[in-house]
Amino acid sequence: MKRTLLGLAAALASMVVLTGAMLPLRGSLSVATTALILVVPVVIGVVIGGFAAGVLSVVAGFLVYDYFFIKPYLTLWVGAPQNWVALGVYAAVMLPVAKVVAGMNIARARELRQGKELRQLFELSDLLVEDKPLDVLLSVIVTSLADVFGARQVALFLPAGDRLELVRSAGEPLSAEQLRDVLPAPGAPTAHTREQTGLLVLALTAAGRPVGLLALSADAAARHEHEPLVLFANQIALAVERAQLREQALRTRVNEEMARLAKTLVAAVAHDLRAPLASIKASSSTLSDAELDINATARQSLARLIDVQADRLADLVQNLLDMSRIQAGVLRPRCTVTTLGELVSSVMGDPAPTWHGRDVRVDVPEDLPLIDADLVLMSRVLANLVDNAIRHSPADAPILIRAVATTQGAIELSVADRGPGVDTSRRDEIFGLFARRDDDAGAGLGLTIAKTFVGAHGQRIWVEDAPGGGARFCFTLPVAAPITEPITQESQLAASSHH
Amino acid sequence: MPRVLIIDDDRDLLNVCSVGLQAFGHDVWTAGTGHDGLAEAAIRAPDVIVLDLGLPDMDGMEVCRRIRTWSEVPILVLSADGSEDRKVDALDDGADDYMTKPFGMRELNARLRVSLRHHAVVGEDQAELDVGLLHLDLAHCEAKLDGRVLDLTAKEFDFLAYLARHAGKVCTRRMILESVWGPQYGKEMHYLKVYAYRIRRKLGDEGGQFLQSDPSVGYRLMPPGEIKPVS
Repeated sequence: MKRTLLGLAAALASMVVLTGAMLPLRGSLSVATTALILVVPVVIGVVIGGFAAGVLSVVAGFLVYDYFFIKPYLTLWVGAPQNWVALGVYAAVMLPVAKVVAGMNIARARELRQGKELRQLFELSDLLVEDKPLDVLLSVIVTSLADVFGARQVALFLPAGDRLELVRSAGEPLSAEQLRDVLPAPGAPTAHTREQTGLLVLALTAAGRPVGLLALSADAAARHEHEPLVLFANQIALAVERAQLREQALRTRVNEEMARLAKTLVAAVAHDLRAPLASIKASSSTLSDAELDINATARQSLARLIDVQADRLADLVQNLLDMSRIQAGVLRPRCTVTTLGELVSSVMGDPAPTWHGRDVRVDVPEDLPLIDADLVLMSRVLANLVDNAIRHSPADAPILIRAVATTQGAIELSVADRGPGVDTSRRDEIFGLFARRDDDAGAGLGLTIAKTFVGAHGQRIWVEDAPGGGARFCFTLPVAAPITEPITQESQLAASSHH
Repeated sequence: MPRVLIIDDDRDLLNVCSVGLQAFGHDVWTAGTGHDGLAEAAIRAPDVIVLDLGLPDMDGMEVCRRIRTWSEVPILVLSADGSEDRKVDALDDGADDYMTKPFGMRELNARLRVSLRHHAVVGEDQAELDVGLLHLDLAHCEAKLDGRVLDLTAKEFDFLAYLARHAGKVCTRRMILESVWGPQYGKEMHYLKVYAYRIRRKLGDEGGQFLQSDPSVGYRLMPPGEIKPVS
């Protein structure tokens, strides 16, 4: 309506200007020339205001032509018969012209709109073919649908078990009534597209397989052609299905990997448990054989070997237990606020038999912030790292335990050795299950456990080159939240009695 | 004094075995890697080799195969994982016996003695074989148990003769099938169960003490009193 008035106004304005220009010359202008010039305002009216404005412009042009340019002037009276012809031709020509021009305009506008939509759809389908995780893809679908189609509500439903479930939506949330209407009762037939309670519901199918449902507010759907929407729905279905299949394939691969790992684990555990057992059994069977004549020194060394191997076995079983507990999710870190000194001294105060006679140096500053960690788990991490360092460095080389506060406000504890170091390419894999050096007889569980325990705290563990050669294993510890209120007498007492 | 070479990467186990086997009257050398083991086997020419399959530098099976290319020395294989496939492969590749860790020293000593004794007597061209009370006349295909003639079919005799020729040694099912029935019968495992059952009945050995079987590995003819069945 507004457009029509605007077109009419433009037509009338141009008519006034042209009429004003032609009036002084009307004696010398032929009837046909005047009519031809008066075509211009009509065309302007049609182009700007559409067909209705065009028709009104024709009427106005007709009256102006008759009133001002056909003798007798300034009357609607038409004199000579050829003037009737001129007027008739003007009206007869101008109405179809208005019609055609208006039609062309409408077509052009529609093309423009469709072109824009197509371009947006194309961009969308580009987004759909990108490799995205399923949840990201779903968000992209609903938000971009809401943008492109200007929909007030967009909702995407995927099957969960034997029913559909709303997984993503954009814009206003669906009302309870809308939800009830969209989700068909189990077993009820679904039409391909349905319009209900102000929603257009499209079934998403990929090559005939049902994938889900798409609901769009109907006002947006009404403004657009349905074809691009249906086409797009098919694309969405394919993309969603592809993402689902890809995640499923990934899960399968992970499961296979886990099964393979479990198998290796069983084999490795069997091997690692049997090695100490073999020594124990061989020693004990020799010692207990009454017929054998073994001298006292040999007897003593066999007995000691049994002792050492039994410890090795006990350690291994402990490690395995810890491992299975944390993997089963039973062992949640029980974090308490403590000092780093306490952590280190709990490890150094209970040295493993293999540490005997080894030079383990500790460099932990007193003024480090308090840590908030599970003392038992983190002690085992440190113990395993020290154990690993001792196992991989020469007997006379010192092991250095060092703590520093990092600039990021965390505490970094490191264990450095003078061993052969760790090759850059193996720095991730040595934390894997049962990774070990070829010349190492110990079970490859220690670092895996360290990584698992550090991970359970949400912290990092890694290995780097130690300055001066060897490997340095580092891990971060969570710092306790600083206490801002003044420390009371009571809490001071509690802290001191804790030590 | 029998000379024993032990190849294993577990130094503690090597030490124990040295002490134990020396007490049993063996002369013992040890090697910690496959390469060292091969070198020791070549230089010292031991009477019997104890070989661990899980070596750090090379597969124990490879060590076994290489030794077999130039020596018939008895090889007793040790395995830590107890997997049957590995045992069968090792025996097929020329090992004479195997043990799963952990093992007792007396058991190891017994098996070493069996390997040493039977290795000494067995020859391909022998016309007669004696295993315990069993006497086999290979030329006339006649079997006697404690002087009593056994009524065996031709295949039963061949089966028994094959085991007797390798008395004390575990023969894998494939080895027996291929040499008694022929190469194309290598997978007909059920033949063996049936024949072993029949032969045991005729030997009066229903308990399998003499003709010992090791499920899913193979069979062994063991003179009474030397070694108990594996399983």
